[in-house]
Amino acid sequence: MEKTEKYAPERMHTGPAGEQADGVMPFGDLAPGSAGNPLADFATIGGETFLRGARFASGVPAYPKRPLCPETGQPEQVEELFGPRGTLYSYSIVHVSNTRDVPYAIGYVDFLSSLRVLANIRIPAGRALACDGPVVLQSDGERWWVEPEGQA
Amino acid sequence: MSGTVIIGAGMIPMGRHRNSSYPGLAVPAVSTALSSAGVSPAEVGYVACGHAFGGMLTGQRIVKDLGIGGVPVINVDNACSGGAAALQLASMAVVEGITDVALAIGVDKLTQFGGGTLPLVEEDPEVRSGMVMPALYAMRARRFLHERGEDSATLAEVSVKARRHGAANPFAQYRKVVTSEEVLAARMIADPLTLLMCCPTGDGAAAIVVASQDRWRKTGVRGAHIRASVLHSGKATTGFRNMLRPEITIHSANEAYEAAGISPEDIDIIELHDAFSIAELIYYEALGLCPEGDAAALLKGGHTTYGGKVVVNPSGGLIAKGHPVGASGVAQAVEVFWHLTGQAGNRQVEAARFGLCHVTGGGISGMDHGACTIHLLETARKRKAR
Repeated sequence: MEKTEKYAPERMHTGPAGEQADGVMPFGDLAPGSAGNPLADFATIGGETFLRGARFASGVPAYPKRPLCPETGQPEQVEELFGPRGTLYSYSIVHVSNTRDVPYAIGYVDFLSSLRVLANIRIPAGRALACDGPVVLQSDGERWWVEPEGQA
Repeated sequence: MSGTVIIGAGMIPMGRHRNSSYPGLAVPAVSTALSSAGVSPAEVGYVACGHAFGGMLTGQRIVKDLGIGGVPVINVDNACSGGAAALQLASMAVVEGITDVALAIGVDKLTQFGGGTLPLVEEDPEVRSGMVMPALYAMRARRFLHERGEDSATLAEVSVKARRHGAANPFAQYRKVVTSEEVLAARMIADPLTLLMCCPTGDGAAAIVVASQDRWRKTGVRGAHIRASVLHSGKATTGFRNMLRPEITIHSANEAYEAAGISPEDIDIIELHDAFSIAELIYYEALGLCPEGDAAALLKGGHTTYGGKVVVNPSGGLIAKGHPVGASGVAQAVEVFWHLTGQAGNRQVEAARFGLCHVTGGGISGMDHGACTIHLLETARKRKAR
């Protein structure tokens, strides 16, 4: 499931900095459908949802994907899938927001691979959220979210 | 920052000043600061203006109305730390010998957004996922309640104290005391934080005049030494982070204490970044006021109000005094300066010698906060002539 990402070292020009512009084109990280969309970069395998992130050569995991390692500034990375299960570190149900309709729930989810991701949360009837509680990734083809695990 | 002295300060009452421009907010504060310092506009050799939402050339738009020009004017955006960062720059200008007298301004007008949550940078991944500032602090609060076995009443007690302090402060946006029951019954903003556990939307401005030791000695005004001025940026991680242990504040505080040669026990008065009630509890521990795990007991024991070990947020803090983002760092220093120089009126902390100002600036994904600024001030005493 691993492959070399597009943010490849060969894109980086190694000659004099003023020689050519090819290696310093801006990242298209806001383009619709680009790798790095925090809401939509996921995979479904066998009915289970995984976040499509990356791991840098330094060992640092990342989701969403990003061009450079936040520890070393280097681009070498391979794609890595995270999930489908994680632990809810903390959460809130938001009742006032300038960015979307309320209420909605968000929380930090810790994955075993030392990765923490801010997730949208959906709470099925009869289930409740708890710090350190298990959650599982879900998706509908366009977006992903987490739900608390357990008996409804 | 040895060698720099705050010699004058001014602030307008925080509130909703919808009919005021940025200069309209800031000029009265600057005029007060200059007159209290006994300094004319022509003597100001450097200006740093902190703001987050003022637009281009905010500092120049302010000081041109006072006859200040032809000198460096720097505009600083560091979110909530913008004003405090401006104070650091003003102090550095004096330390570096650029000028004998520098001016720090903090100003912002949040009513321009009409209310609701603070507009964050929408290209940030967590903001695109629904992050707003109350939610960030709410997650801290949720984790605090989970780990410490506390309930929301503890969060409410922070607001009760803040409003009690703010009631005595004529510069506070809210001067009405509230009960714990009222705080808990207020409408929910981001569970578990209710409206009265959150800082309000408001406008404000504050200003400080910083001078060299020599310049201060020539004046007849009371002053406060800047014993330490520390500014840190956040360090990003994609991994796990203890939300109850804000390392940017811990590191900044330790560096400030070391620079000043004092310890947390020496501090008499603190203005800290209580944008939401949970923050005050977390920062008790981060600033070294108590061991990790003892924040709730410190609050409930009355150790952080008048008569306690240290008076935290005598102004009412950001919850009661108000939090016009870029203004807050300077406003905190104004409040502490007034206490250290015996100018705080009915809310005066008696015999205060050392004061600490703490303000962070967030939030962006992967960081505890984007910025943290700490200033340590000490009452300045002139040597007697032999």
